[in-house]
Amino acid sequence: MKSSYAYYPGCLASLSQKELDTSTRAIAEKMGAELVEIPGFTCCGAGDVHEARPEYYLHLNARILGQAEQLGQETLLTICNVCTLNLRQADLKLKADADLRERVNKNLRDVGAASYEGGVEVRHLLWEIAEGEGYEKLKQIAQKPLTGVKIAPFYGCQILRPSKMLGFEDPDRPQSLERIIEACGAEPVDYPSKIKCCGFPIVLAREEVALGELIQPLAEAKQAGADAMVTPCPLCHLSLDAWQGKASREADMEFDLPIFHLAQLVGAAAGLTYDDLLFKRHVTKTYPATDKIYAAGD
Amino acid sequence: MEFTLKIERYDPDTDQGRLQEFTVDAPETATLLDVLDVVKDTVDGSVTYRKSCRMAVCGSCGMRMDGAAVLACKTPMAPLAEEGRVPVISPMGNLPVIKDLVVDMDPFWAKFKAVKPWLEEDDRPPVKEWRVQQEELDRIMKEALCIQCGCCVSECNSMEADPDFLGPAALAKAQRFVGDARDRDRSERLRALNGPHGVWDCTRCYFCNQRCPKGVDPRDAIAKLGAEIYSEGMLSDKGARHAQVFDMSTRATGYLLETALVPYTDPLKAMDVKFALNLARAGKVPNPLKPHRAKKLDEVRKLHKLLKTQEAAARDERRAGVSVDREEPAE
Repeated sequence: MKSSYAYYPGCLASLSQKELDTSTRAIAEKMGAELVEIPGFTCCGAGDVHEARPEYYLHLNARILGQAEQLGQETLLTICNVCTLNLRQADLKLKADADLRERVNKNLRDVGAASYEGGVEVRHLLWEIAEGEGYEKLKQIAQKPLTGVKIAPFYGCQILRPSKMLGFEDPDRPQSLERIIEACGAEPVDYPSKIKCCGFPIVLAREEVALGELIQPLAEAKQAGADAMVTPCPLCHLSLDAWQGKASREADMEFDLPIFHLAQLVGAAAGLTYDDLLFKRHVTKTYPATDKIYAAGD
Repeated sequence: MEFTLKIERYDPDTDQGRLQEFTVDAPETATLLDVLDVVKDTVDGSVTYRKSCRMAVCGSCGMRMDGAAVLACKTPMAPLAEEGRVPVISPMGNLPVIKDLVVDMDPFWAKFKAVKPWLEEDDRPPVKEWRVQQEELDRIMKEALCIQCGCCVSECNSMEADPDFLGPAALAKAQRFVGDARDRDRSERLRALNGPHGVWDCTRCYFCNQRCPKGVDPRDAIAKLGAEIYSEGMLSDKGARHAQVFDMSTRATGYLLETALVPYTDPLKAMDVKFALNLARAGKVPNPLKPHRAKKLDEVRKLHKLLKTQEAAARDERRAGVSVDREEPAE
């Protein structure tokens, strides 16, 4: 864990998933990491601009990277899987090809934007606290162990695959979330589809297909006895949380599974309150699990 | 060296499945396929799997090892044995099992056929051979490397939920022809892929890129098709309109306009009042009248415009490049 980061919350955590941004800022403060705002950052374009307009996507992301570089920060901290893959993919492409970088930089200069010289690394919050110094700090701040709470880790896709772009851990046998759950004093619950897709990218265009995907992890985690699920991605969160009711009706099963953002899990173990972590901003009620958490230490 | 593995057996006559463990000796350099051959030759001749070239060219020996699709002939076994791991070998996913590790590839080939995996010429045959420029070949080189093993299809999360989805292998093949400078059927191909079970059904799970043993990166091929469809202004599919919201909202506010996403992608879904109220109650519906705006928005707007111009120029250049080298036949 570094003492400071260029902080990229992305769109969702700035808008509908504000509880993630708030919780991230709260735990960063506890861990002594400064989150430096990137003035004028935009959307990374998600998978959509990446797909539909690959050149525009590359420039949008180069501009964000350039802005982070201008701040003198070595690491751009992300809290969303899709932002992570988009920014890392652009970063790797620009670092590997000096001619491409020059062409992109010329365009950026022409519109008055910061150019990018390749001096930034994109890292997700999960990776920063799952090993090394960050993990030690996590253990230090986790003073209120979530004893007896069973948490199902849900990784989401674009923090694992393609591993040649992400590469933090074995994409088929990841353990970072489990390590964090343990450091928080809770019990990780294992289930097969923890590395599969939540369906979010196509939930508006192909809702039936997306729900088919979403049902799997919810049903498996529930069956494995999870009190709650934790995810490092606000898009997975939205799918698992806001679409859970529809998935439940589609599958004809009662899930009632609270979905935590990674930063909320850590925050709860660090003694932050239900209100601090904005648990009330969830569509699927969190209290069966949050009652257990907040009763444990009180 | 001693290798232990568990094989998922399936007997179609009795419709019974079971997991059977085998331990055999094989050279340290043995692949999964070599180990299976030793099992079949020396322990149990009824163990059934496909194989042919043994060098990752024919695409016959796709199967799963500990749940992940691999080519058996390309998977070294010593590292697992050294770790003491006893892998479970099972048939590929998303395809019906015929016996043990053999799956029925008919549904796979049907999807292949549906994308017309051949070059469509017009009715004027070229007088001499086509001369394809290196950069034109480079554009489809990755997709042309596909050996049709099915490892990508095995893991496709969208296909698991929708068995009719064309899937990564067929779509990568489609891009191989859409991107081919010689093909005359580009627009029709794109129209056919821009609908149900086509390009926009991909959920971007990236399992296909992760598993492909030949570096085809099928997800990237699907994205290339999406870009082709989008650049043609073909916005009939909800998937293309979804992409358009992201494109336009980065220009409008710098951020995603969340409140535009549902009504523009699928107006009918916007009528789902109960769902919207649930979101609103949780504070998840930003005020559409006061959208969050990024600072320095003028930079992004100029970038948006500049790139549009450059994209159009690149498209024109490519179009011009494909009409060369065709001569009218002599009378």
